[in-house]
Amino acid sequence: MLPLSIKDDEYKPTKYNLLLKLSGWFRSILADKTSRNLFFFLCLNLSFAFVELTYGIWSNSLGLISDSFHMFFDCTALLAGLAASVISRWRSNDSFSYGYVRAEVLAGFVNGLFLIFTAFFIFSEGVERALEPPDVHHERLLPVSVAGLLVNLVGIFAFQHGGHGHSHGEGDHGHSHSLFNGSTSHGHSHGGHHHHDKHADWHSHGGHEEPHYNDELQHLPGKGSSKQILQGVLLHIIADTLGSVGVIISALLMQKYDLMIADPICSMLIAILIGVSVVPLLKESIGILMQRTPFSLDHALPECYQRVQQLQGVYNLQEPHFWTLCTDVYIGTLKLLVAPDADTRWILSQTHHIFTQAGVRQLYVQIDTAAM
Amino acid sequence: MACEPNRARLLCMLSLTFGFFIVEVVVSRMTSSLSMLSDSFHMLSDVIALVVALVAVRFAEKTQATNKNTFGWIRAEVMGALVNAVFLTALCFTIVLEAVERFTEPHEIESPVVVAGVGAAGLLVNLLGLCLFHGHAGGGHGHSHGGHSHGSKNKRGKTSKNSKAGNGSSGEETNNLVGNHNSPGDGRPRNEISCKGSTEVQMNGNTHYEEMDPDHDSSSQLNMRGVFLHVLGDALGSVIVVVNAVIFTFVWQPCIKGEKCMNPCVNSHSADHYHDNNTVVDLHVGPTVPTMKFAGPCWVLYLDPTLCIIMVSILLYTTYPLLKESALILLQTVPKQINMHRLNERLLSLDGVLAIHELHIWQLAGSRIIATAHIKCHDPTSYMEVAKRIKDLFHNEGIHATTIQPEFVTFSSESRDSLCELSCRTQCAPKLCCGAADKQNTGSDKKAAVASNLEVISETSEAAGAVVQVCPGSEAEVRIAREVESSL
Repeated sequence: MLPLSIKDDEYKPTKYNLLLKLSGWFRSILADKTSRNLFFFLCLNLSFAFVELTYGIWSNSLGLISDSFHMFFDCTALLAGLAASVISRWRSNDSFSYGYVRAEVLAGFVNGLFLIFTAFFIFSEGVERALEPPDVHHERLLPVSVAGLLVNLVGIFAFQHGGHGHSHGEGDHGHSHSLFNGSTSHGHSHGGHHHHDKHADWHSHGGHEEPHYNDELQHLPGKGSSKQILQGVLLHIIADTLGSVGVIISALLMQKYDLMIADPICSMLIAILIGVSVVPLLKESIGILMQRTPFSLDHALPECYQRVQQLQGVYNLQEPHFWTLCTDVYIGTLKLLVAPDADTRWILSQTHHIFTQAGVRQLYVQIDTAAM
Repeated sequence: MACEPNRARLLCMLSLTFGFFIVEVVVSRMTSSLSMLSDSFHMLSDVIALVVALVAVRFAEKTQATNKNTFGWIRAEVMGALVNAVFLTALCFTIVLEAVERFTEPHEIESPVVVAGVGAAGLLVNLLGLCLFHGHAGGGHGHSHGGHSHGSKNKRGKTSKNSKAGNGSSGEETNNLVGNHNSPGDGRPRNEISCKGSTEVQMNGNTHYEEMDPDHDSSSQLNMRGVFLHVLGDALGSVIVVVNAVIFTFVWQPCIKGEKCMNPCVNSHSADHYHDNNTVVDLHVGPTVPTMKFAGPCWVLYLDPTLCIIMVSILLYTTYPLLKESALILLQTVPKQINMHRLNERLLSLDGVLAIHELHIWQLAGSRIIATAHIKCHDPTSYMEVAKRIKDLFHNEGIHATTIQPEFVTFSSESRDSLCELSCRTQCAPKLCCGAADKQNTGSDKKAAVASNLEVISETSEAAGAVVQVCPGSEAEVRIAREVESSL
């Protein structure tokens, strides 16, 4: 028998498969605008880190070397965000019945944790240095921190623009998740024991569903939440920039007025700033991961319950569970106790419609008939 | 209460570690040793890990459903485990960075005896912690759940189901699962209870209190594993400190003050000259110093970073499974012990079930597994008969919180059994982020069938919406009448 198809994938050596996979990932990264931005920012950060590393090795400055390592640490967080944006687009399979969409929430959460850890670490080093001020080599401080500021500003412009005017024509289905990671490097004293500020890792929901569908009902919730997230992203980057500006100021202070205490105080302030700015991100991701009722539905749900209970034949609405799968995708389950002679089909479709109006598109309604 | 031993252990360990942290800070100030200060910060991170675990345990006790957290707070423990695992990973990265720095610029240890002493004390504290948490992390422990009586809940045929359930669930924590099956799942007894007219059975009410013990154990195990790994990392760190300090005292020959000696290992600016009574003597000026002593073997200085890197690799190796497991739970994976294909087949083999759509099974925390599905049946009466058997099937798999939505065959779609009647409207099909792509093809040819339903429903909804807004209660009958006539 002749073969019906030429599927010799399994006979190919694994090297080709890996290359194929990598190129597939590459294409999927470059396809979406926000992940493309993320990728380029990652490259920028990486190249900056390498430059810093080579410069540090060449000039034998331990501080620069350690700072470049911190930058690499930053880049791993960026990489995690990028990986999550790729992973969340994979198809669902047997083990992941919802697909991998939650990866971006998880990545946001993990990056928030990394940020908090970095803030804690910077704070502790600031304390150490306040207690035992080391010699400060701040000659190389200024150019490095200025360069870091520039990299940050690039990030601001890239993601601010990418946020609002995001691609309307792209993305066949589903969502585009963009994870932003803004990082900065600012030099510090101690022979340049540089610290890295932080990352902000956010996921913003690319609102490119709008042009595809004319359903105005779903338009508003999506737009609102992504806007909020983008605002958060911008706040983060602005805090980042303020951080590097602060470092530049402290470097100037140290050079002009020899105020050594400026450096630890600066790092402590920056650490506190990072910690404070990460809290909203953490709150949101924790809410999603804890299967909390979606924030945006908090007000709409009781009204929906009322409407459902007023349907004819419905005795009671029990065990409502609503939770967020990923940004703007809400899933709900509930149980209705209905009269034996009720029209279940009609009740089902009505319930679905009521909740679709509220924005919950995946709903599971269990109908239990009360015995007479 | 299952949680009490956990909390007691955590509190005890927390107070010990915090006390030790204070001790280390004081000692570091006294001996002005920077490495001790940095080690004390590691202790502080340990304290934070314990605090996180404690908070998670306290939250997870509140398994009652609240308005906003309808599942209760039971997932807090998985989150606590994830937070601890991530912190541990970040800590490992930091240690690697510091070790690399030490490689390029080795430091001697000042006053190694004190360091050895404090390190040994820290090791004791950590070993105590390991003993405290080892039993928990090992897996399973003695809580007898078999004898739970659940008050007013209907327990008809529970014991038979227990044995079935025990065989159905494979492997893990069978003692927990036996207890779990005691808890009345939402499905089966509810029908019976509803016969009695008590319609107020809230699953997230009292039953959770009893369900809490078995679930608490297996999910709290995750949390405790995180704490255990953290304490293990700290113990390894203390071991390294002690080993390093001991080797340093015995092997290293330091430069005694006042003697002319040089430290060749430290690649600093002092490598090519040394300070002799406030004058700088240049070493490169010929072999003029025959009595020059050299500080002890250089490899001792590199011992510390090497051991650190070994410790980091051990830690990462042991943390990775915990990280993976908690991340998978949070990603809404199907639990390992459930085979979706088999479950699907078994559901389809029940008569009365025409098709199954949108079967989702995920793990809330521990052994609480939640499933949702659409089941397509002929009509409501056949659905009622099949519902019990479906619930039983899920119970046998160990899934007790199920929500089954019935779908009924509409007249026009006899041939399209596999399509979901109520999966979505046409616009939202591509917006579903899960497997929506495969449904897209079916969505387009479903449009015709669904469109007619759609118009009808939109008409009624506008009417309903308008009426409800105007006057919630009084015109209900008028609205209902209108809707009934236009529905089919």
